[in-house]
Amino acid sequence: MHFEIQYNPAHSLATAHLNVGESVRAEASAMVSLSSQVDVATNTGPAGRGGFFQKARRGFLGGESFFQNTYRARGPGATVSLAPQLCGSMVVHELGTGPSLLIQASSYVAAPDSVDVDTQFQGFRGFLSGESLFFLRASGYGPVLLNAFGAIETIDLDGELIVDTGHVVAFTEGIEYSIDKAGGGWIQSFLSGEGFVLRLRGRGKLYIQTRNPTEFGHTVGVMLPARSS
Amino acid sequence: MEHYIEHGPSFAWLRVKLRPGVELQGEAGAMVRMDPQVVMTTHLNAPKNAGFFYKIWALLVAFMRKVLGGETMFVNRFTSAGQGEIVLAPTLSGHIIHHALSAGRRLFVQTGSYLASAGAVSTQVRLGGLRTLFGGEGLVLLECSGEGDLWVNSYGGVVPIEVNGSFIVDTGHIVAFDGALDFKVKSVGGIKSFLFSGEGLVCEFRGRGTIYVQSRNLKALVSWLSPLLPS
Repeated sequence: MHFEIQYNPAHSLATAHLNVGESVRAEASAMVSLSSQVDVATNTGPAGRGGFFQKARRGFLGGESFFQNTYRARGPGATVSLAPQLCGSMVVHELGTGPSLLIQASSYVAAPDSVDVDTQFQGFRGFLSGESLFFLRASGYGPVLLNAFGAIETIDLDGELIVDTGHVVAFTEGIEYSIDKAGGGWIQSFLSGEGFVLRLRGRGKLYIQTRNPTEFGHTVGVMLPARSS
Repeated sequence: MEHYIEHGPSFAWLRVKLRPGVELQGEAGAMVRMDPQVVMTTHLNAPKNAGFFYKIWALLVAFMRKVLGGETMFVNRFTSAGQGEIVLAPTLSGHIIHHALSAGRRLFVQTGSYLASAGAVSTQVRLGGLRTLFGGEGLVLLECSGEGDLWVNSYGGVVPIEVNGSFIVDTGHIVAFDGALDFKVKSVGGIKSFLFSGEGLVCEFRGRGTIYVQSRNLKALVSWLSPLLPS
């Protein structure tokens, strides 16, 4: 199978082209259209991989929808089209002989069964910054479909870089990372509006998005009427 | 200052190459990525030589903005010991424009549209009248003066309009305007239409100068979303 991406950068749409018998797993809410040769099954991940707790961990800690849908091609010419919730670009990262990929949970869209998606618990959630820091770990081989809020910049990292946590989409394993405060002190970091940053070190591939979804949510959110209950 | 505006017009960000001794000031929360040698410090948005009372005033405005819904009035200043790169991005989708400010000229920037500045540019908070605060349209302006670089961001596309005479813009669509222009905030057609038309407040400009107008209005997005929220 392969992904075809159209309408980048603002309103991207990805179409998975499946050969007979092939399948793709996607975040439950991402499906836009299905051709008639596709069977849909809702499950909690690939059959036989991981027990209930591993799957629950993926769902609740990973911040991703617990249910992923599996789309399997029954006949030739099968297609599934997928779209993220927000405006922005999508990109395909090919997994193969290289390192696996750590993906910010909300940036993951879809992957074939040959890719295993697991969670890595990243410590503090929403402390001060309100930005969740949960990464899924994608390993195996095949294409992984990622989405961004805004445009995507692909960086071949060789050295050190500081990235705002809300702008990280994914990076290859092997890059050392630590969570750090943005400014000199904690109070300063809080006032700076940056909260936490990721300090990345080493060599590998890094994807970052030009907009921060949490920041957007807060900006619009404070202007909305309060929920009555 | 060496800078690049990339991924525009929908998702623009600002990439700046810092040299030693040069300082970039950016809106709080705008930092996307930076080299490890770049140092960030956080300040209240007041001119560097501001007196004590101005700082109290700035703090009060910052507090009001926070309560009434708006961004913080803190800014971050970035310096680099060696060559260092930094990227800043606004919150909403849209574009960024660069404005070279020359001595003796002023630019009024809607606070949400301020992204960054460099050189001898000073930024001061100005209120466009009390009514704008209570009207919820929040025409809170930053008065930018001095000499240097200024970057402003828009929600949606941004159009520069050369005004000679008079011109009216919805307050939610104002990005920035030349300090040489006279401006007055008013409702489109009296108090009744202000309350019932949904047309909000407008700003009437007179004189000669440039106005930067954005093609989207955050208020409009909010009022579209609000009735759709679950109760």
